[in-house]
Amino acid sequence: MNKNFFEVKNVDFNINSKTKVRDVNFSIENQGDVICLLGPSGIGKTTILRTIAGLEKIKKGSIILNGKTLSSKKINLEPEDRNISLAFQDNSLFPHYTVKKNILLGSEKNKEKKDKKISLDEIVELLDISKILSKYPHEISAGEAQRASLARSLIMQPDLLLLDEPLSNVDQSFKEEIQVRLKKILNKLKITTIIVTHDSYEAFYLGSKCGIILNQELKQFDDPYKVYHFPNSVEVVNFLNRGILIPAKVTGKNTLENWDLGTIEGNFIREYPEGSDVQLLLQPEDLEHDDTSNLKLEVVDRKFRGTNFIYTLKTPSNTLIPVFVHSHHIHQHEVDEKFGIKRPIHIDHIVCF
Amino acid sequence: MRINFWYISSFIISIFVIIPILTVFSSFFESTSNYYQVLKDTFLMEYIFNSLILLVSVLIITFLIGTGSAYLVSFFNFPFSNFFKWALILSFAVPPYIYAYSLTAFFENYGTAYTILKNLFGEGNYNQSIPKFDGLLGAVLSISFSLYAYVYILARASFLYQSQNIIDLGKNLGLTKLKALYSIILPAARPAIVAGLSLVAMETLAEFGAVDFFSINTLTTGIYNSWIAFDDLAFANRLSFFLLLFIFAVFILENLSRKNAKYHFNTKAGFKQKEKIQLSGKKAFLAFSFCFFVFFLSFLFPLSQMMYWTIKFPENLFDLNALDLLANTLYLVTLSSLMLIIFGLISNYGNRVNKNKTLNFLSTLSISGYAIPGVILAVAFITFIAWFDNSLVKNLGFVSIKKVFIGSILGLVIVYFIRFYSLAYNGIKSGYEKINISVDESSYLLGYSKRKTFMNIHIPFLRNSLLFVGILVSLEIIRELPITLILRPFNFETFATTAYISASEDLLEAAAVPSLFLILIATFFIIVTSKYILRDNNE
Repeated sequence: MNKNFFEVKNVDFNINSKTKVRDVNFSIENQGDVICLLGPSGIGKTTILRTIAGLEKIKKGSIILNGKTLSSKKINLEPEDRNISLAFQDNSLFPHYTVKKNILLGSEKNKEKKDKKISLDEIVELLDISKILSKYPHEISAGEAQRASLARSLIMQPDLLLLDEPLSNVDQSFKEEIQVRLKKILNKLKITTIIVTHDSYEAFYLGSKCGIILNQELKQFDDPYKVYHFPNSVEVVNFLNRGILIPAKVTGKNTLENWDLGTIEGNFIREYPEGSDVQLLLQPEDLEHDDTSNLKLEVVDRKFRGTNFIYTLKTPSNTLIPVFVHSHHIHQHEVDEKFGIKRPIHIDHIVCF
Repeated sequence: MRINFWYISSFIISIFVIIPILTVFSSFFESTSNYYQVLKDTFLMEYIFNSLILLVSVLIITFLIGTGSAYLVSFFNFPFSNFFKWALILSFAVPPYIYAYSLTAFFENYGTAYTILKNLFGEGNYNQSIPKFDGLLGAVLSISFSLYAYVYILARASFLYQSQNIIDLGKNLGLTKLKALYSIILPAARPAIVAGLSLVAMETLAEFGAVDFFSINTLTTGIYNSWIAFDDLAFANRLSFFLLLFIFAVFILENLSRKNAKYHFNTKAGFKQKEKIQLSGKKAFLAFSFCFFVFFLSFLFPLSQMMYWTIKFPENLFDLNALDLLANTLYLVTLSSLMLIIFGLISNYGNRVNKNKTLNFLSTLSISGYAIPGVILAVAFITFIAWFDNSLVKNLGFVSIKKVFIGSILGLVIVYFIRFYSLAYNGIKSGYEKINISVDESSYLLGYSKRKTFMNIHIPFLRNSLLFVGILVSLEIIRELPITLILRPFNFETFATTAYISASEDLLEAAAVPSLFLILIATFFIIVTSKYILRDNNE
């Protein structure tokens, strides 16, 4: 039997007797894997982490770490007995200790660990917090406090690390660099980690698997690539804000027909009988601009996004379609002008509902 | 819910504190001696009338001088305004009964005022022209000048948090300074002022020393007399019940009057530090005079009167066994503060980790002990011990344990504990409120047990709060009179009881020395804690 390192089985996650997320199932196969949970604010992501850490109880299902049941209807191991570390989103450093003392408190528990993989100095350097070590929590910024809190959790080298929006307060300019460093540390220490975030790019970068939580359910739990390209429900599509759904008819094994766009070719990720009516997911990168094409749509809006423009085009049946165009494209199209789309339209993965 | 050590401890502490309150309530249904009927027909109305007059007069005076001085030091700069900011709280060092001794000593026939006039203008019949501040007027003045600092401290704190924006808004609306004070500043500070006045009300109704000294019959002295003179505990308790109703009525009225109004401002968003207005000339002189007048009357006057007598009659200083009294006072203070801090801490932590409704209710009830006058608590304690002892001896054939609790240090400390428990509990609670719950959770996740979190995380964090609470409690115990008087062991005196006994024997000069010691020790404690009492920010 395949034994997972960490498992959540049929758990209802509750806070103040209210169920936030129902009947959740997911697992982490190997020690050292990093997974991410994505979802809008207030959906219950933090509740999931708090429950796994032992700060909230469950009435249904079970949570198992390394073969040991941490939580179930009957069992509830105290937080201090789990060797799980949770880095809170908000500053939870001890206000009366310096940053250094705060971090060292994390290492106390693992003093007996012989195979220490990381020292205070290494962690300080990796998270770039050497300048704030002698300061008190109220003397540092929210982003610095978050990194200090992260350092405290990492130095514990717990069996399971839970990070709640770990970089939400870190400056945008510094965020990507910290993401790279964090990934490096987690790989090096082989700490199994669950990261909660509302930033899909952060989740796709850091996690080997991503879970999407919407409407009180874990809607999809899969590789980031699959979540992105093969969303399994309309809700996931809407959440990732990846495009629009347009009506189409399946006309063959690899083709569909849309009233406005004509024939669309590609590989269906699921099979549909010929002649069936479907909703086709059209993402901004699926259409290509071609000035010479005879398929012309009206530009209703244009947004500059640095490397890209996103054009919003209106079809004859008044559907609005987003299209990416590289910002170095030779000329720009103004609102009300016509915009050519290359035909035949080819989409690598055809996602329909 | 899991029953743990913290739950059980908090539960037991709360029940322990609640017992005297329940004793007072249950006594209402017990039979009393004929004294009740006699009193009902004669003095009961006088007791109630005097208590009311005293209460209303003290509230008016403390409101005027407390709010007035707080307004001046919070909104204006004038000579010595920074000095008055903390000097005005020194009146706490002078309990009403010592103020009463000073007032009498100064204005009595051939008293200090007479001596001053004689030295200035030679022999003369000055006694007739020197006003006499005794009776109800004396009691009102003594209590007011001793207690106005409650209103001053809370009003000042509230004024401090008023944003410059609302003051500017007042100006923008064309309001004069006086109109702005009435229509903006005072209403916004209302909860704080009312909270200060509630404390004054409780202390006034509970006041024993000054009222007894001026021979005013109030409910409190009535309780003491019915117990001392008529040995009627049940009736003393019944009177206490009336007094408690009185005190709860004050609370309820205050709560009802607030309705749903919100008074606090969000200090993070849109808060603008107030700019103090610089006063000069006549205005500066008036502001200075007002504050100096209050400071002089509340602190310098009693202090100098006591010093004057100590110097004038130095033999009293040598007769007094000051070291013994100091040792006794410090012994009581240390024992009681330690007990209050330890149990206050445990109970707070128990409530924090358990989040249980029953426990919460019990804790809320247990902190009402502060509203119960010392005299009542002492009598209720004796009632309870007598009943308990009787039950043990009669029903179980045990040896009487009455003496262990009554007339012993243990009994005294227990009743201090009950009386000042709310002070310790609330003081520690306000320290705890600054520790985010995620700090506890982080600690558990770092592998710390509840005990370790308490010892290694909370106690170091609360160190300053605990010190503050300890000193505040000590200050109260040093000044405390009726409980010590009723429950102290034979031949065990403190500065407060020695002063009281000398004064009640009409030996005011002898009362001066212990009073002076008391004022000096209390002043020292106030100066040490003034930083916390008057903190300028919400740390």
